[in-house]
Amino acid sequence: MKLFDPTSKPVERAVDLAPRPASLEGLRLGLVDNTKFNSDTLLAMLAERLARRHGMTVALTSRKRSPSHEIDEAAVKTLRAQADLVVSGIGD
Amino acid sequence: MHVVTTDAAQDPRELIEAYYDAGWTDGLPVVPPTDASVEAMLAAGGLRGDEVIGEIAGRNQVVVADKVAINAVMAGCRPEYVPVVVAAVKGLCHPDFAYHGPASSTGGSAMVLIVNGPIVRALGINSGNNAFGQGHRPNATIGRAVRLVMMNALNTRPGLLDRATLGNPGKYSFCFAEHEDDHPWEPLHVSRGLAAHDSAVTVYASNSLYQVYNQLAATPEPLLRCFADALCNLGVPNMKGFNQSLIVLAGEHADVLRTSGWSRRKVQDFLIEHARRTVADFKRAARLPGPAEAADETTWRRLFERADDILLVCAGGRAGSWSACLPGWGNKWTRAVTVRIESGRNA
Repeated sequence: MKLFDPTSKPVERAVDLAPRPASLEGLRLGLVDNTKFNSDTLLAMLAERLARRHGMTVALTSRKRSPSHEIDEAAVKTLRAQADLVVSGIGD
Repeated sequence: MHVVTTDAAQDPRELIEAYYDAGWTDGLPVVPPTDASVEAMLAAGGLRGDEVIGEIAGRNQVVVADKVAINAVMAGCRPEYVPVVVAAVKGLCHPDFAYHGPASSTGGSAMVLIVNGPIVRALGINSGNNAFGQGHRPNATIGRAVRLVMMNALNTRPGLLDRATLGNPGKYSFCFAEHEDDHPWEPLHVSRGLAAHDSAVTVYASNSLYQVYNQLAATPEPLLRCFADALCNLGVPNMKGFNQSLIVLAGEHADVLRTSGWSRRKVQDFLIEHARRTVADFKRAARLPGPAEAADETTWRRLFERADDILLVCAGGRAGSWSACLPGWGNKWTRAVTVRIESGRNA
Protein backbone atom coordinates (compact mmCIF):
# COMPACT_ATOMS: atom_id res chain seq x y z
CA MET A 1 0.00 0.00 0.00
CA LYS A 2 1.32 3.41 -0.96
CA LEU A 3 0.39 6.48 1.04
CA PHE A 4 1.05 9.96 -0.27
CA ASP A 5 2.07 12.29 2.54
CA PRO A 6 0.00 15.49 2.21
CA THR A 7 1.85 17.33 4.97
CA SER A 8 4.67 19.86 4.99
CA LYS A 9 6.87 20.56 7.95
CA PRO A 10 7.96 24.10 8.74
CA VAL A 11 11.25 25.07 7.17
CA GLU A 12 13.83 24.95 9.91
CA ARG A 13 15.51 28.23 10.70
CA ALA A 14 18.35 28.81 13.14
CA VAL A 15 17.45 31.48 15.66
CA ASP A 16 19.97 32.84 18.14
CA LEU A 17 18.42 33.65 21.48
CA ALA A 18 19.40 36.96 23.00
CA PRO A 19 21.67 36.59 26.02
CA ARG A 20 19.65 36.64 29.24
CA PRO A 21 20.47 39.52 31.59
CA ALA A 22 21.98 38.54 34.91
CA SER A 23 19.94 41.23 36.64
CA LEU A 24 16.94 43.41 35.81
CA GLU A 25 18.25 46.39 37.75
CA GLY A 26 18.16 49.60 35.73
CA LEU A 27 17.58 47.96 32.37
CA ARG A 28 15.93 49.73 29.42
CA LEU A 29 12.59 48.13 28.66
CA GLY A 30 11.00 47.78 25.20
CA LEU A 31 7.28 47.05 24.94
CA VAL A 32 5.60 45.45 21.92
CA ASP A 33 1.87 46.05 21.92
CA ASN A 34 0.13 43.62 19.57
CA THR A 35 -3.04 45.81 19.66
CA LYS A 36 -5.27 43.21 21.29
CA PHE A 37 -7.85 44.64 23.64
CA ASN A 38 -6.16 45.69 26.91
CA SER A 39 -2.71 44.80 25.61
CA ASP A 40 -1.55 48.40 26.14
CA THR A 41 -3.07 48.51 29.63
CA LEU A 42 -1.46 45.27 30.72
CA LEU A 43 1.95 46.22 29.35
CA ALA A 44 1.78 49.60 31.09
CA MET A 45 0.96 47.91 34.41
CA LEU A 46 3.81 45.48 33.92
CA ALA A 47 6.23 48.31 33.07
CA GLU A 48 5.17 50.24 36.15
CA ARG A 49 5.83 47.21 38.34
CA LEU A 50 9.23 46.58 36.76
CA ALA A 51 10.14 50.23 37.26
CA ARG A 52 9.13 50.09 40.91
CA ARG A 53 10.88 46.82 41.69
CA HIS A 54 13.96 47.04 39.49
CA GLY A 55 14.35 50.66 38.42
CA MET A 56 13.69 49.78 34.80
CA THR A 57 12.69 52.50 32.35
CA VAL A 58 10.53 52.20 29.26
CA ALA A 59 12.81 53.07 26.36
CA LEU A 60 10.13 52.68 23.70
CA THR A 61 6.79 51.10 22.89
CA SER A 62 6.17 49.59 19.47
CA ARG A 63 2.64 48.88 18.22
CA LYS A 64 2.23 46.08 15.73
CA ARG A 65 0.01 46.55 12.67
CA SER A 66 -2.25 43.85 14.09
CA PRO A 67 -1.94 40.70 16.17
CA SER A 68 -1.93 38.73 12.91
CA HIS A 69 1.05 40.50 11.43
CA GLU A 70 4.68 40.03 12.30
CA ILE A 71 6.53 42.90 13.88
CA ASP A 72 8.31 44.80 11.12
CA GLU A 73 12.08 44.71 10.73
CA ALA A 74 12.52 48.43 11.39
CA ALA A 75 10.84 48.06 14.78
CA VAL A 76 13.05 45.08 15.62
CA LYS A 77 16.12 47.12 14.71
CA THR A 78 15.05 50.00 16.94
CA LEU A 79 14.20 47.69 19.82
CA ARG A 80 17.55 46.00 19.50
CA ALA A 81 19.34 49.35 19.65
CA GLN A 82 17.35 51.01 22.40
CA ALA A 83 16.18 48.25 24.75
CA ASP A 84 17.94 45.72 26.93
CA LEU A 85 14.79 43.64 27.46
CA VAL A 86 11.60 43.37 25.42
CA VAL A 87 8.16 42.29 26.59
CA SER A 88 5.51 41.44 23.98
CA GLY A 89 1.84 40.81 24.61
CA ILE A 90 -0.84 39.71 24.86
CA GLY A 91 -2.51 36.44 23.95
CA ASP A 92 -5.93 34.99 24.66
CA MET B 1 6.95 13.98 -3.32
CA HIS B 2 7.05 12.32 0.06
CA VAL B 3 5.52 8.87 -0.09
CA VAL B 4 5.04 6.38 2.69
CA THR B 5 4.91 2.72 1.76
CA THR B 6 3.43 0.14 4.08
CA ASP B 7 2.88 -3.58 3.85
CA ALA B 8 -0.86 -3.49 4.25
CA ALA B 9 -3.19 -4.91 1.65
CA GLN B 10 -4.53 -2.90 -1.30
CA ASP B 11 -8.06 -2.78 0.05
CA PRO B 12 -9.46 0.77 -0.47
CA ARG B 13 -11.06 0.63 2.95
CA GLU B 14 -7.67 0.01 4.50
CA LEU B 15 -6.19 2.85 2.52
CA ILE B 16 -8.88 5.19 3.76
CA GLU B 17 -8.31 4.03 7.33
CA ALA B 18 -4.57 4.52 6.90
CA TYR B 19 -5.13 8.19 6.06
CA TYR B 20 -7.28 8.50 9.17
CA ASP B 21 -4.60 6.79 11.25
CA ALA B 22 -1.98 9.20 9.96
CA GLY B 23 -4.11 12.17 11.04
CA TRP B 24 -4.33 13.56 7.53
CA THR B 25 -8.10 13.91 7.07
CA ASP B 26 -10.68 16.51 8.04
CA GLY B 27 -12.80 13.82 9.68
CA LEU B 28 -14.44 12.67 6.48
CA PRO B 29 -13.03 9.83 4.38
CA VAL B 30 -10.54 10.93 1.75
CA VAL B 31 -9.90 9.67 -1.75
CA PRO B 32 -6.58 7.81 -1.55
CA PRO B 33 -4.17 9.35 -4.08
CA THR B 34 -2.29 7.37 -6.69
CA ASP B 35 0.67 8.30 -8.86
CA ALA B 36 -1.69 8.81 -11.77
CA SER B 37 -4.22 10.95 -9.91
CA VAL B 38 -1.55 13.22 -8.40
CA GLU B 39 0.18 13.61 -11.75
CA ALA B 40 -3.14 14.46 -13.37
CA MET B 41 -3.65 17.24 -10.84
CA LEU B 42 -0.21 18.70 -11.50
CA ALA B 43 -0.70 18.46 -15.26
CA ALA B 44 -4.09 20.18 -15.09
CA GLY B 45 -2.53 23.00 -13.11
CA GLY B 46 0.51 23.23 -15.39
CA LEU B 47 2.62 22.78 -12.27
CA ARG B 48 5.93 21.19 -11.39
CA GLY B 49 5.77 19.17 -8.22
CA ASP B 50 8.39 21.25 -6.45
CA GLU B 51 6.94 24.58 -7.52
CA VAL B 52 6.32 26.96 -4.62
CA ILE B 53 2.68 28.05 -4.54
CA GLY B 54 2.98 30.28 -1.49
CA GLU B 55 4.45 30.68 1.95
CA ILE B 56 3.53 31.97 5.37
CA ALA B 57 6.61 33.81 6.55
CA GLY B 58 5.76 33.92 10.25
CA ARG B 59 5.39 30.18 10.33
CA ASN B 60 8.34 29.25 8.11
CA GLN B 61 5.78 27.31 6.13
CA VAL B 62 6.03 26.79 2.36
CA VAL B 63 3.34 25.21 0.17
CA VAL B 64 4.62 23.33 -2.86
CA ALA B 65 2.54 22.09 -5.77
CA ASP B 66 2.75 18.38 -5.10
CA LYS B 67 1.21 18.89 -1.65
CA VAL B 68 -1.62 20.89 -3.19
CA ALA B 69 -2.10 18.11 -5.74
CA ILE B 70 -2.19 15.37 -3.09
CA ASN B 71 -4.66 17.25 -0.93
CA ALA B 72 -6.83 18.04 -3.95
CA VAL B 73 -7.03 14.34 -4.81
CA MET B 74 -7.86 13.53 -1.20
CA ALA B 75 -10.64 16.14 -1.22
CA GLY B 76 -12.26 14.56 -4.26
CA CYS B 77 -11.41 17.28 -6.78
CA ARG B 78 -11.37 16.67 -10.49
CA PRO B 79 -8.06 17.75 -12.05
CA GLU B 80 -9.61 20.74 -13.78
CA TYR B 81 -10.46 22.23 -10.38
CA VAL B 82 -6.79 22.61 -9.47
CA PRO B 83 -6.31 26.13 -10.89
CA VAL B 84 -9.05 27.34 -8.52
CA VAL B 85 -7.45 25.59 -5.54
CA VAL B 86 -4.03 26.99 -6.44
CA ALA B 87 -5.38 30.53 -6.79
CA ALA B 88 -7.15 30.21 -3.43
CA VAL B 89 -3.96 29.03 -1.72
CA LYS B 90 -2.14 32.02 -3.21
CA GLY B 91 -4.84 34.19 -1.67
CA LEU B 92 -4.35 32.62 1.75
CA CYS B 93 -0.63 33.31 1.49
CA HIS B 94 -1.04 36.94 0.42
CA PRO B 95 0.27 39.35 3.09
CA ASP B 96 -3.02 41.29 3.15
CA PHE B 97 -4.86 38.13 4.19
CA ALA B 98 -2.54 37.87 7.21
CA TYR B 99 -3.12 34.12 7.42
CA HIS B 100 -2.06 33.44 10.98
CA GLY B 101 -4.91 35.36 12.63
CA PRO B 102 -7.94 34.09 10.78
CA ALA B 103 -6.49 30.58 10.54
CA SER B 104 -5.54 30.18 14.18
CA SER B 105 -7.88 32.45 16.13
CA THR B 106 -10.36 31.28 18.71
CA GLY B 107 -12.89 32.92 16.34
CA GLY B 108 -12.77 29.83 14.15
CA SER B 109 -13.13 31.31 10.69
CA ALA B 110 -14.27 29.56 7.58
CA MET B 111 -12.28 30.46 4.51
CA VAL B 112 -14.99 31.59 2.13
CA LEU B 113 -14.09 31.16 -1.55
CA ILE B 114 -16.13 33.20 -4.04
CA VAL B 115 -15.49 32.24 -7.67
CA ASN B 116 -16.15 34.54 -10.61
CA GLY B 117 -15.74 34.52 -14.37
CA PRO B 118 -15.93 32.00 -17.20
CA ILE B 119 -14.49 29.17 -15.10
CA VAL B 120 -17.71 29.09 -13.09
CA ARG B 121 -19.69 27.73 -16.03
CA ALA B 122 -16.81 25.60 -17.28
CA LEU B 123 -16.52 23.75 -13.97
CA GLY B 124 -20.18 23.86 -13.00
CA ILE B 125 -19.62 25.69 -9.72
CA ASN B 126 -23.00 26.34 -8.17
CA SER B 127 -24.13 29.94 -7.77
CA GLY B 128 -27.86 29.26 -7.59
CA ASN B 129 -30.19 27.39 -5.28
CA ASN B 130 -28.47 26.15 -2.14
CA ALA B 131 -25.28 27.98 -3.09
CA PHE B 132 -23.89 27.50 0.42
CA GLY B 133 -25.24 23.98 0.75
CA GLN B 134 -24.52 20.46 -0.28
CA GLY B 135 -24.84 18.64 -3.58
CA HIS B 136 -22.31 20.20 -5.98
CA ARG B 137 -18.97 18.53 -6.40
CA PRO B 138 -16.83 21.56 -7.32
CA ASN B 139 -18.23 23.64 -4.48
CA ALA B 140 -17.74 20.84 -1.97
CA THR B 141 -14.34 19.61 -3.07
CA ILE B 142 -12.56 22.87 -3.94
CA GLY B 143 -13.37 24.29 -0.52
CA ARG B 144 -12.43 21.02 1.12
CA ALA B 145 -9.10 20.88 -0.73
CA VAL B 146 -8.20 24.35 0.53
CA ARG B 147 -8.99 23.35 4.12
CA LEU B 148 -6.93 20.15 3.76
CA VAL B 149 -4.02 22.22 2.43
CA MET B 150 -4.40 24.43 5.51
CA MET B 151 -4.38 21.44 7.83
CA ASN B 152 -1.70 19.39 6.16
CA ALA B 153 0.56 21.77 4.27
CA LEU B 154 0.17 24.83 6.49
CA ASN B 155 0.12 22.92 9.76
CA THR B 156 -3.21 24.41 10.83
CA ARG B 157 -4.63 21.55 12.87
CA PRO B 158 -7.44 21.71 15.42
CA GLY B 159 -6.06 22.03 18.92
CA LEU B 160 -2.62 23.02 17.67
CA LEU B 161 -2.37 26.03 15.34
CA ASP B 162 -6.14 26.05 14.84
CA ARG B 163 -7.44 27.26 18.20
CA ALA B 164 -11.12 27.69 17.27
CA THR B 165 -13.36 27.81 20.33
CA LEU B 166 -16.36 26.48 18.41
CA GLY B 167 -15.38 26.67 14.75
CA ASN B 168 -18.17 26.43 12.25
CA PRO B 169 -19.34 23.95 9.62
CA GLY B 170 -17.92 26.17 6.87
CA LYS B 171 -14.50 25.06 8.02
CA TYR B 172 -15.03 21.77 6.18
CA SER B 173 -15.64 23.57 2.92
CA PHE B 174 -17.07 26.91 1.85
CA CYS B 175 -16.94 27.63 -1.85
CA PHE B 176 -19.59 29.10 -4.13
CA ALA B 177 -19.77 31.09 -7.34
CA GLU B 178 -21.23 34.51 -7.80
CA HIS B 179 -24.43 34.66 -9.82
CA GLU B 180 -23.37 37.08 -12.54
CA ASP B 181 -26.55 36.97 -14.63
CA ASP B 182 -29.10 39.63 -13.69
CA HIS B 183 -26.56 41.15 -11.32
CA PRO B 184 -27.45 44.66 -10.12
CA TRP B 185 -23.87 45.76 -10.75
CA GLU B 186 -20.59 44.51 -12.12
CA PRO B 187 -19.41 41.16 -10.71
CA LEU B 188 -17.28 41.08 -7.58
CA HIS B 189 -13.97 40.43 -9.35
CA VAL B 190 -14.56 43.35 -11.72
CA SER B 191 -15.35 45.61 -8.77
CA ARG B 192 -11.97 44.56 -7.39
CA GLY B 193 -10.01 45.50 -10.49
CA LEU B 194 -10.07 42.48 -12.77
CA ALA B 195 -11.65 42.17 -16.23
CA ALA B 196 -15.02 40.57 -16.82
CA HIS B 197 -13.38 37.89 -18.96
CA ASP B 198 -10.99 36.97 -16.13
CA SER B 199 -11.74 34.13 -13.78
CA ALA B 200 -10.95 34.79 -10.15
CA VAL B 201 -11.37 33.55 -6.64
CA THR B 202 -11.84 35.87 -3.68
CA VAL B 203 -10.68 34.49 -0.33
CA TYR B 204 -12.42 35.90 2.73
CA ALA B 205 -12.33 34.86 6.39
CA SER B 206 -15.66 34.78 8.21
CA ASN B 207 -16.49 33.26 11.57
CA SER B 208 -20.25 33.18 11.16
CA LEU B 209 -23.14 33.28 8.72
CA TYR B 210 -26.63 34.44 9.35
CA GLN B 211 -29.48 34.70 6.96
CA VAL B 212 -31.45 37.92 6.63
CA TYR B 213 -35.14 37.67 5.86
CA ASN B 214 -37.39 40.36 4.45
CA GLN B 215 -40.40 39.54 2.30
CA LEU B 216 -42.06 42.96 2.27
CA ALA B 217 -39.32 45.39 1.31
CA ALA B 218 -39.84 46.66 -2.23
CA THR B 219 -37.25 49.44 -2.02
CA PRO B 220 -33.64 49.43 -0.86
CA GLU B 221 -33.97 51.41 2.37
CA PRO B 222 -36.01 48.98 4.50
CA LEU B 223 -34.15 46.00 3.09
CA LEU B 224 -30.75 47.50 3.82
CA ARG B 225 -31.82 48.50 7.32
CA CYS B 226 -32.22 44.76 8.03
CA PHE B 227 -28.65 44.13 6.94
CA ALA B 228 -27.34 47.07 8.96
CA ASP B 229 -29.17 45.84 12.04
CA ALA B 230 -27.99 42.25 11.59
CA LEU B 231 -24.37 43.36 11.24
CA CYS B 232 -24.48 45.50 14.39
CA ASN B 233 -25.63 42.97 16.94
CA LEU B 234 -24.00 43.27 20.33
CA GLY B 235 -22.16 39.98 19.94
CA VAL B 236 -20.34 41.03 16.79
CA PRO B 237 -16.65 40.71 17.59
CA ASN B 238 -15.37 43.81 15.90
CA MET B 239 -17.57 46.61 17.11
CA LYS B 240 -14.50 48.60 18.06
CA GLY B 241 -14.47 49.67 14.48
CA PHE B 242 -14.06 49.09 10.84
CA ASN B 243 -14.62 45.47 10.21
CA GLN B 244 -14.92 43.97 6.73
CA SER B 245 -18.18 42.18 6.05
CA LEU B 246 -19.63 40.15 3.21
CA ILE B 247 -23.26 40.47 2.18
CA VAL B 248 -24.64 37.85 -0.21
CA LEU B 249 -27.78 39.02 -1.97
CA ALA B 250 -30.08 36.33 -3.27
CA GLY B 251 -32.70 36.57 -6.00
CA GLU B 252 -35.59 38.69 -4.73
CA HIS B 253 -33.36 41.01 -2.75
CA ALA B 254 -31.00 41.43 -5.70
CA ASP B 255 -34.08 42.26 -7.80
CA VAL B 256 -35.08 45.01 -5.37
CA LEU B 257 -31.67 46.63 -5.70
CA ARG B 258 -31.42 46.16 -9.46
CA THR B 259 -34.80 47.72 -10.18
CA SER B 260 -34.09 50.60 -7.78
CA GLY B 261 -31.14 51.78 -9.82
CA TRP B 262 -29.00 52.17 -6.70
CA SER B 263 -25.30 51.86 -7.40
CA ARG B 264 -23.03 49.51 -5.47
CA ARG B 265 -21.44 52.56 -3.87
CA LYS B 266 -24.80 53.99 -2.81
CA VAL B 267 -25.66 50.71 -1.09
CA GLN B 268 -22.30 50.67 0.66
CA ASP B 269 -22.68 54.28 1.78
CA PHE B 270 -26.14 53.56 3.18
CA LEU B 271 -24.76 50.63 5.17
CA ILE B 272 -21.82 52.70 6.45
CA GLU B 273 -24.30 55.27 7.71
CA HIS B 274 -26.77 52.85 9.30
CA ALA B 275 -24.58 50.05 10.66
CA ARG B 276 -23.96 51.72 14.01
CA ARG B 277 -24.79 51.53 17.71
CA THR B 278 -24.40 53.87 20.63
CA VAL B 279 -21.56 53.60 23.10
CA ALA B 280 -24.26 53.22 25.76
CA ASP B 281 -25.53 50.07 24.04
CA PHE B 282 -22.08 48.58 24.11
CA LYS B 283 -21.45 49.56 27.72
CA ARG B 284 -24.74 48.08 28.94
CA ALA B 285 -23.72 44.83 27.30
CA ALA B 286 -20.21 45.02 28.77
CA ARG B 287 -18.71 45.18 25.33
CA LEU B 288 -17.05 48.37 26.46
CA PRO B 289 -15.91 48.95 30.03
CA GLY B 290 -17.58 51.30 32.47
CA PRO B 291 -21.10 52.54 33.13
CA ALA B 292 -23.14 54.19 30.39
CA GLU B 293 -22.96 57.97 30.80
CA ALA B 294 -25.48 60.45 29.44
CA ALA B 295 -23.23 61.39 26.55
CA ASP B 296 -22.85 57.73 25.59
CA GLU B 297 -26.52 57.63 24.61
CA THR B 298 -25.81 59.90 21.66
CA THR B 299 -22.26 58.84 20.85
CA TRP B 300 -22.26 56.45 17.94
CA ARG B 301 -19.81 53.83 16.79
CA ARG B 302 -19.97 52.78 13.18
CA LEU B 303 -19.05 49.30 12.05
CA PHE B 304 -17.61 50.40 8.73
CA GLU B 305 -15.29 53.13 7.63
CA ARG B 306 -14.91 52.77 3.88
CA ALA B 307 -16.94 51.39 0.98
CA ASP B 308 -14.53 48.54 0.44
CA ASP B 309 -15.20 47.36 3.98
CA ILE B 310 -18.44 45.97 2.52
CA LEU B 311 -18.27 43.19 -0.05
CA LEU B 312 -21.51 42.83 -2.00
CA VAL B 313 -22.01 39.54 -3.81
CA CYS B 314 -24.97 37.92 -5.57
CA ALA B 315 -25.70 34.22 -5.20
CA GLY B 316 -28.54 31.88 -4.36
CA GLY B 317 -31.90 30.92 -5.78
CA ARG B 318 -34.24 33.22 -7.63
CA ALA B 319 -37.09 32.55 -5.23
CA GLY B 320 -37.18 33.32 -1.54
CA SER B 321 -36.65 36.42 0.54
CA TRP B 322 -33.34 35.38 1.99
CA SER B 323 -29.93 36.88 1.82
CA ALA B 324 -26.96 36.49 4.15
CA CYS B 325 -24.44 38.43 6.20
CA LEU B 326 -21.01 36.99 6.86
CA PRO B 327 -19.08 39.18 9.28
CA GLY B 328 -15.37 39.20 8.71
CA TRP B 329 -12.82 37.97 11.16
CA GLY B 330 -10.68 40.60 12.80
CA ASN B 331 -10.70 44.33 13.00
CA LYS B 332 -8.92 45.11 9.72
CA TRP B 333 -6.41 42.46 10.66
CA THR B 334 -7.30 40.49 7.56
CA ARG B 335 -8.68 41.64 4.24
CA ALA B 336 -10.32 39.72 1.43
CA VAL B 337 -7.91 38.91 -1.37
CA THR B 338 -8.91 38.37 -5.01
CA VAL B 339 -6.62 36.24 -7.18
CA ARG B 340 -6.90 35.73 -10.93
CA ILE B 341 -7.28 32.07 -11.86
CA GLU B 342 -4.85 31.17 -14.60
CA SER B 343 -5.82 28.30 -16.82
CA GLY B 344 -3.22 25.69 -16.05
CA ARG B 345 -0.83 28.26 -14.65
CA ASN B 346 -0.90 30.69 -11.75
CA ALA B 347 2.25 32.68 -12.35
